[in-house]
Amino acid sequence: MNLLEVKNLDIDYVTKEGNLKVVRDVSFTLKQGESVGLVGESGCGKTTLAKTIMRLLPDNGVISGGEINYKGENIVTKNKEEIRKLRLNEIAMISQSAMNSLNPVYTVGEQIIEGIRSHTNMSKKEAIKRAEEVFAIIGLEKKRLKSYPHQMSGGMKQRAIIAMALSLNPSLIIADEPTTALDVVVQDKILSQITEIQKQTKSSMIFITHDISIISELCETIIVMYGGKIMEKSSSKVFFKAPYHPYSLGLQNAFPSILDIDKGDLISIPGAPPNLMGELKGCRFKERCPFRTDKCMEELPELKEIGEDHQIACHYPERVDEFREESKKKETWQMVSDRIINESKGDA
Amino acid sequence: MSNEYLIKVENLKKYYSINKGLKDVFSKEKSYVKAIDDISFTINKGEILGLAGESGSGKTTTGEILVQLQELTDGSVTFDGYDFADKSKEANRRFRQDVQMIFQDPYETLNPRFTIFETIAEPLKIFGMKDKDEIYEKVIEALEIAELRPAEQFAFRYPHELSGGQRQRVAIARGIVIAPKFIVADEPVSMLDVSIRADILNLLRNLRDKMGLTMLYVSHDLSTIKYLCDRIAVMYLGKIVEIGDVKEVINNPQHPYTKVLLSSVPIADPDYIRERIEIDDELPDQINLPVGCRFEPRCPFATDKCKSVDHALFERRDKQWSACIYTDKELILKK
Repeated sequence: MNLLEVKNLDIDYVTKEGNLKVVRDVSFTLKQGESVGLVGESGCGKTTLAKTIMRLLPDNGVISGGEINYKGENIVTKNKEEIRKLRLNEIAMISQSAMNSLNPVYTVGEQIIEGIRSHTNMSKKEAIKRAEEVFAIIGLEKKRLKSYPHQMSGGMKQRAIIAMALSLNPSLIIADEPTTALDVVVQDKILSQITEIQKQTKSSMIFITHDISIISELCETIIVMYGGKIMEKSSSKVFFKAPYHPYSLGLQNAFPSILDIDKGDLISIPGAPPNLMGELKGCRFKERCPFRTDKCMEELPELKEIGEDHQIACHYPERVDEFREESKKKETWQMVSDRIINESKGDA
Repeated sequence: MSNEYLIKVENLKKYYSINKGLKDVFSKEKSYVKAIDDISFTINKGEILGLAGESGSGKTTTGEILVQLQELTDGSVTFDGYDFADKSKEANRRFRQDVQMIFQDPYETLNPRFTIFETIAEPLKIFGMKDKDEIYEKVIEALEIAELRPAEQFAFRYPHELSGGQRQRVAIARGIVIAPKFIVADEPVSMLDVSIRADILNLLRNLRDKMGLTMLYVSHDLSTIKYLCDRIAVMYLGKIVEIGDVKEVINNPQHPYTKVLLSSVPIADPDYIRERIEIDDELPDQINLPVGCRFEPRCPFATDKCKSVDHALFERRDKQWSACIYTDKELILKK
């Protein structure tokens, strides 16, 4: 059975100017022990999606359609108390710059123990013991439980937050850019610890980042989001060898590599993500896509199967060889850049 | 005598005193945080030097000293024949015009109440340009160079109307509008989405190629340094531990710390098996620094000898200097 099943999920932010369609028709499943990486630019809806699974949307965030089935039960229809029981026990989140979310006037230990006790019936003693255990797993000395946040380095604080998230052995861990504020050496160590723990406890993980190289090392599956929709979903192994979607091809061009393969000049994708306000027509990537046609301007491509566990949302999967060839050329993207400038001149 | 280099840093030190309390006023012993401890390097004209290292290594402080945002404690810096010790008004004015900085966070370095035009025109006005048409022309030209097109439209927008990448371009346009010779860029792309980083990196490189700018690029991201820079200096706890040609250093790191840094970078290839070097990820106490080699407590190759060595750079390969007392061959043998 699937641990998590997201079905046709729509999420809106209600604003004075109208509804912002942050996530549209997103579906994916997650098996026990599987880890999936979610990538995309800022504003593509990846963090909103994660927050929704925890039911942590801000007040103006509305789930306007779809289901999120966790162990067969729909999270969307649960009330506050039922959700509270799920959090930390079943689903835990390590959020971005979480290390700044520690309360400065309590010791780290007090905060972890408070979390454990408010979600279980453990006595204080048991909770302390549990906190010491998770600290040991994540590589912190147990005397650190008595430290205040300001006495710890960034790496230690982030570890404490991870310890807190793991304290009740959740089945699902949602990690939202858990290491972006950290140095490479610390990042590398924490990431390897997270995967180690995830393997040991057989929990599933949703890993959100904009650094695709991390996903290549950590996750079996990658989901590329753009403008609130899934553009490509594939196993990491296949994706990093041969991406399909024009957006994925663009992303691949934009990444510097430390390895000595001279990819030539990096090319980024010209333009900016679409405004998700108002009526949205056609493919979300149409403004920045070098291969768009009239059909793309009018018709939204559905996510369709093109191989085993490999789906893309593009009208032209059969033209992939041509896309791959063309997307390597600078001129292809320069054309997009010129097109965007011309279009913005027309607006003025 | 014409000198090849634009900037020469010699034995630069920056100490922050941490004696603050009344008790300390009377005590003779002074303690310091040695943010930069005796570093020397040069940057040639038209060269981009990358400065790498963890937080607390002193890389940002070095950048700030080179634009005189901070005073140096000891040592000397010469920029284009001008000595930092020269405090005359004339020298200072020339310096401010020749050196500019691009900061990390494009969301906080632009005045939200200024239009893009006002932001970029400000340095021109400060340096005495009065003719309105001339200012307009210069601003548009800078916007064009920073690839904010159509420039006439961008000029009258406010920062909140722009994306992060566009803001960083505005910051770059502001930096280059008075035609400086040298730019310090401190993590200019770390706040940006990876998909638009490439554009900003290409822009910085174009500035060098087309305007002959010299640059110091401060970053902890080795892959962007490899892409943009000609040479790299790796800093650790206030010292330069390795310096050399960027491709050489990254392909053949000589210092154990450089090796560790490189082994920690994730690779976007699922079939690639990365050799991780396990080390303690906490920096040592920055006030009571380790004796001998500063990296010794964390170094996987350390021996007793390392506890008593003085810091020195050895030329291990052609123009590639490492502070490790062991050669690469000796390090491999120790494994």
